[in-house]
Amino acid sequence: MTKRREGIGDELRAHIDAHVDDNIRAGMTPDEARRQALIALGGVDQVKEQVRDSRAGAWLDTVVRDCRFALRMSRKNSGFTVVVVLTLALGIAANTTVLSWISATLLNPIPGVAHTSDLVTVARGDRSDHPSPPFSYLDLRDLSERTHTFSGLLGYHEDYMSLTGVAKPERIYGALTTANYFDLLGVRPILGRAFLPEEGTSRAGGAVIVIGYTVWQNHFAGDPQIVGKTIQINRHPYTVIGVAPRDFNGCKTGLRTDLWIPLSMDRDVWESDRPARRGSFWLNVLGKLRPGVTKNQAQAELNLLMRGIAERFPEDHRDSPNEISLDPLWRSPFGINVYLYKILPMLLGLAGVLLLLACANVASLLLVRSVGRRREIAIRLGMGASRLQIIRQFLIESLLLGLLGGTAAIVITVWTSRSLVDFFPPSSIPLTNGAHIDQRVLFVTIAVSILAALIFGILPALRSSSLPVQSVLKEETTSVSLTLHKGRLLSGLVVAQISLSLVLLVCAGLFTRSLQKAQQSDPGFEASHLLLASYELSPAGYTRATSVAFNRQVLSKLSALPGVESVTLADFSPLSFSIHTDYLQIEGYVPQPHESMEISRAIVGPNYFRTLRTSVISGREFTEADTVDSQLVAVVNQAFVDRYWPGEDAIGKQVTDGPGRFTIVGVARNAKYRLLTYPAEPVIYLPMYQAYRSTQDTTIHLRTTGDPRAMASSVEETIHQLNRELPLFNVNPLSVTMQLGTLFGRVAATFAGSFGLLAMLLAAVGIYGVVAYSTRQRAREIGIRMALGAEKSGIYRLIVGQGFRLTLTGLVVGTALALAFTRLLKAQLFGVSETDAITFASVGLLLAGVALLACHIPARRATRLDPMVALRYE
Amino acid sequence: MGNKTDVWQGTLALMILKTIETLGPQHGYGIARRIEQTSGHKLLVNYGTLYPALLKLEQEGYVKSSWGLSDNNRKAKFYQLTRSGRKQIEREAREWNETTAILAKFLSPDEA
Repeated sequence: MTKRREGIGDELRAHIDAHVDDNIRAGMTPDEARRQALIALGGVDQVKEQVRDSRAGAWLDTVVRDCRFALRMSRKNSGFTVVVVLTLALGIAANTTVLSWISATLLNPIPGVAHTSDLVTVARGDRSDHPSPPFSYLDLRDLSERTHTFSGLLGYHEDYMSLTGVAKPERIYGALTTANYFDLLGVRPILGRAFLPEEGTSRAGGAVIVIGYTVWQNHFAGDPQIVGKTIQINRHPYTVIGVAPRDFNGCKTGLRTDLWIPLSMDRDVWESDRPARRGSFWLNVLGKLRPGVTKNQAQAELNLLMRGIAERFPEDHRDSPNEISLDPLWRSPFGINVYLYKILPMLLGLAGVLLLLACANVASLLLVRSVGRRREIAIRLGMGASRLQIIRQFLIESLLLGLLGGTAAIVITVWTSRSLVDFFPPSSIPLTNGAHIDQRVLFVTIAVSILAALIFGILPALRSSSLPVQSVLKEETTSVSLTLHKGRLLSGLVVAQISLSLVLLVCAGLFTRSLQKAQQSDPGFEASHLLLASYELSPAGYTRATSVAFNRQVLSKLSALPGVESVTLADFSPLSFSIHTDYLQIEGYVPQPHESMEISRAIVGPNYFRTLRTSVISGREFTEADTVDSQLVAVVNQAFVDRYWPGEDAIGKQVTDGPGRFTIVGVARNAKYRLLTYPAEPVIYLPMYQAYRSTQDTTIHLRTTGDPRAMASSVEETIHQLNRELPLFNVNPLSVTMQLGTLFGRVAATFAGSFGLLAMLLAAVGIYGVVAYSTRQRAREIGIRMALGAEKSGIYRLIVGQGFRLTLTGLVVGTALALAFTRLLKAQLFGVSETDAITFASVGLLLAGVALLACHIPARRATRLDPMVALRYE
Repeated sequence: MGNKTDVWQGTLALMILKTIETLGPQHGYGIARRIEQTSGHKLLVNYGTLYPALLKLEQEGYVKSSWGLSDNNRKAKFYQLTRSGRKQIEREAREWNETTAILAKFLSPDEA
């Protein structure tokens, strides 16, 4: 027997053969017998068809058939398909790009840790975009021991460390952590082990380190025997006990940590003794809630415990508020999410509007095309196709277009998802770039493609399936015109496109103007002609005294270089998220209950204000004479005076910072050091030779007469003459690094801007398509008008008028929508109102102009119509 | 042929099952001829509905099919009753009997 599967064809053949045999037996000739048998069966193919339709998976067959038909249609109209797929691809890609960022940051705040929903960050004091580490080790230890709502609290402190003992020392961002760090996060080293409890509390035996995957690969070539070997950090030896998994970069979203050392080693790493001091707030804390405990319960408990601690140790907790607040990681004040959680959902909203617009655009194209397919559909309906079958056919075509668009969008997103990092200026901020197309993004892309296909496909499908078959078939194809109803639907779609693109353009305009305002705003210093370069002394073996001596040498050598106007040092640089804070006590000022006295604090060298061109309003700036041996002095800015000593003379007043009491000798103009869009905040400046802190970088600020870049090599040479081993990093003009200060404004403006331009293009194509189409349909009418003596200008006005009425309606609707929408942006705008008349007016005019241009082309074509040709065409 | 009626909707399945029960394994053509015979040639089986009906019965598990040789040595697909097919005949026959009994009460003269 052959293995061939016998089908219905074989069965019917057997049936006929049996019938023929019977007929022959009944006395018919063989031919007649076969003829009668076939007649009785009533057509082999019809029977086959009926059998096939009653089969279980029959619907699948028809879907496959519809798909094949849809593919054939889309190949036949390849131009149409390309336009639609591209439109959808851009609309979907806008969404998936933003989504890939959201997925990598807000939804996956700790790469390498799958479940973060029960993790919260613990902060102390008012919510801030730039909190300093809130807890001392002893406070954290007491909280961990007493809490019942958390299954654990972990603490970490991150900063740069130097990998020493190698040919070229390298700066690596590392963390000192509590011993439970890895266990609480649920991160298991891929080699070796995590910390043991005793390693977190005692320096003896605490000299162990877990290294990150990148360090393992780059510095140890992935040595499988690395566990047990010794490496040097800040010139102290540590035994490698483990290698972290590849994905895991620490638990501060957006920043990558590559080394982990128990915090008991603070003295070896940073030569300080913070674990023993209750008043040293240096740890960021993450807690894991016990199952069933709410955030509020945990917060109430920690508040109670913290109040107890503050009462027992009043000296250490007097200057800082002790209110605890817990935040889920997606809006944690520590790391990059504090900025992104406001801006990304907003961008996603804009991308959603763009996709809606793309859907309206595609729907109008499909609708126009479906008019051309009226005969095909009428014939199918006439041949007995059900309405459902027609709708199914249309929806399958739409789904195919949607999925093609989605696929193209994924290809685009592969590239755009990485673009967030491109907005950061060159700096040593250790950014992670985890944005990529993950499963979640892929899944949503497919869902969005299908949803979009339903949105743009359903109207044309419903409309087309309810054709009056008789009249359509009677019509001449060329005289098919838009029925009133379909015309209205198309007009509605055009109005939707215009109004949605107005919304996007207005947002784009507002963000752009806001960015311009920020960039043009006076930061309080002069950024041009300034070169920055940083170095770090304590890992290189300098003590406090030798550091200060070294810095003096640096200043005197650099100021002697030709082309240098003036030079100074600081422990931060403006607008690069590097300014530090201290808790201050201010003479004559009584803080409100719970008021945070955590204030920005800059440690700067002599001539800082002269070099930065931040004028000193009263008093003096720091000089070479402000040293450890002289009176402790400080300069404050105007905002400081306005806030704490309003209407008083600040000169001569005193501020306590830690152990030191500083006397104010000068008041400087306000300057912005965090984000250009933030209002000026109080800042205190301390002189470098008095208040030098070895734990922080030193940044050279060099004012040049020419191009600051040109000075880079001679600055490096000078430093290397003083110390051949000392690495210089972040050698960049201030004008470049300060772009970080407008980072989020640039992200918003760039994306809203490109969404807006895309929207305008789509709307223009949409209105052009509809006007051109209806003009073609009205060729006969126009021909008659012209034959009856209508002026060309009259025809032109007729066509343009039609398009322009739609545009105007769209502009009115769009303005109303935009007014509602932009209210949500208010907090993100700087120096421009969310109802900014200039933006609204110019966007309206621009859109009207573009729409007019889109109507102009078909209108001019109409005036060139030869009435004879138009009429004969029928 | 004018006095022949098409098989009533819903009764074909029972007729097919009953025919197979009587004849044993049988091919489609044979089943159709047998139904026409049994009805005294008063019924006309539409082959366009016979084969879909057979397929449906097979999908429902009342019959199973296999290829074999017919009386005159031709290859044909034979349908055979399954255990649940037998139960189905009982069930359907009982329902039909009830239905006809009820109808008979309406139609019988002593009801009037």
